[in-house]
Amino acid sequence: MGREGGQEGSQEGARDAEPSRAGDQASLRRALAPLFRYRGKSSGRADLVLGILAFAGFLGLWYLIAFFEVVPQRFLPLPQEVLAALWRMLTERNFLDDIGISVARVWAAFLLSAAMAIPIGIWMSSYRIVGTTIEPIVDFIRYLPVPALVPLLIIWFGIGEASKIAVLWMGTFFQLVLLIADDAKRIPREFIEIGYTLGAKPRQITRDIVLRAMFPSMVDNLRITLGWCWTWIIVAEIVAANSGIGHAIWSMRRFLKTPEVMAGILTVGIIGLLTDQAIRAWHRRHFRYL
Amino acid sequence: MTTNGAFVQVRNVSKSFLDVGQDREEIAVIQSVSMALGEGEFVVYLGPSGCGKTTLMRIVGGLETASAGEVLLAGRPVTGPDRRKGMVFQAYTSFPWLTVLENIRFGTKYRDDIGAAEKAEIARHYLELVGLKDFADFYVNRISGGMRQRVAIARTLAAGPEILLMDEPFGALDAQTRDFLQEQLLEICRLERKAVIFVTHDVEEAVFLADRIFMFSARPARIIEEIKVTERLGPERVADTKASQDFFQLRNHVRDLMRDQSRSLA
Repeated sequence: MGREGGQEGSQEGARDAEPSRAGDQASLRRALAPLFRYRGKSSGRADLVLGILAFAGFLGLWYLIAFFEVVPQRFLPLPQEVLAALWRMLTERNFLDDIGISVARVWAAFLLSAAMAIPIGIWMSSYRIVGTTIEPIVDFIRYLPVPALVPLLIIWFGIGEASKIAVLWMGTFFQLVLLIADDAKRIPREFIEIGYTLGAKPRQITRDIVLRAMFPSMVDNLRITLGWCWTWIIVAEIVAANSGIGHAIWSMRRFLKTPEVMAGILTVGIIGLLTDQAIRAWHRRHFRYL
Repeated sequence: MTTNGAFVQVRNVSKSFLDVGQDREEIAVIQSVSMALGEGEFVVYLGPSGCGKTTLMRIVGGLETASAGEVLLAGRPVTGPDRRKGMVFQAYTSFPWLTVLENIRFGTKYRDDIGAAEKAEIARHYLELVGLKDFADFYVNRISGGMRQRVAIARTLAAGPEILLMDEPFGALDAQTRDFLQEQLLEICRLERKAVIFVTHDVEEAVFLADRIFMFSARPARIIEEIKVTERLGPERVADTKASQDFFQLRNHVRDLMRDQSRSLA
């Protein structure tokens, strides 16, 4: 069985990741070899170390370029200056409030999108009449560039919270609904037929089989969509807002405070990375059967 | 056996569909097939791949509709799939998000003829019947393909069907596992006394399992011969049956029939 083979392989990989205390070169080489093999098996520890090293390397490169002023420091400040700027923003400019507002906007819009996309997407995959009616419209709107819609949404919803939520919703709902419909469609036809022959009705098949079978890939798609929200929130806050991370970045730009601008951008990256890792960890814990 | 009054009656069933090609011509898949099946009888549909035997079984199960003719189950026409007609597929259909026992218990989920306590008892019963007691709490991705098919069979039985429809359930398994599961399936059928329609293109499997074999032609499927296996080999089948002279002769006869049909496809 291929699957059993795979398990064996990953156990091997786990062993590889822990070289003996003697730390001899052979075991180190064995630990690193899968990293270079075509489609080699991953091993948690080596992957983590490599990820951290890559980050350190990136920081180091940045430091060197800024330190030797390959690019003038006015444009590329040293890492520690950006960190200091972040500290100033947090302590002197209530940047924490901006972060809170942006996070709240992102989650409000994301939850609204998900709450609509999940039932509608599943509905689209369940009945051809729904799918074939909705899909062309969704496909059309999906290709409208969201930044181009911002002026229109501001005319419609003003510059309050409603217009930000609307921008994020426009940018995510139409993509998400198709992803969800695809997740539902990918379920083996036999699963549905088994449901019927065990006596289930379509509603019960949807609830007890379709939703459960698609759940892991749906969570993945939700995670990716949440990332897009961060793109659109910054766009929305730059164009029209007097609060939020995007607004903070944009107002610092006016005074050419490069460290502060970079600190704002980095904040988005850090929030994104943390959320993403948290959802991944949840995914691993709850879908252990995969 | 007469067609009238039999447990399952297939009456002049035909099936055709529109070709997707340019001409959009009608393609006949099944051509006026009639057969009957008694309670507790094990029938095998044997024929070359793609001949339409699976489609006929799916029509009996209500998963597809006939273009002409009808199917009666216990005197009532089959109009759609339900709990009375249990299915086992070749593909693994046990649910990966459930353990072995939970999968089997899922078979009782939509029964309204019994209470919760009885459902749990039935799940336990079939868990033991298919010999997976030690694997009750394993997720199905952690067990072998043969075990997954046993889970699927147990789940189907737990729903309390009147007939078991099996579409090449052992097709993806290795030879040893397949032999073992064939014997176990016969043992289960002896205990449960369920009617079975079993679809396969494996001649030896057909002869070993069947009370009667319906040999189908290449597409469009027609019954070209009915082979009454139990009259020749008796109802008792054990591992040694496959070594007997009678089994050998019958298998060769069926293999020749099969070869003629497959040749017309090649």
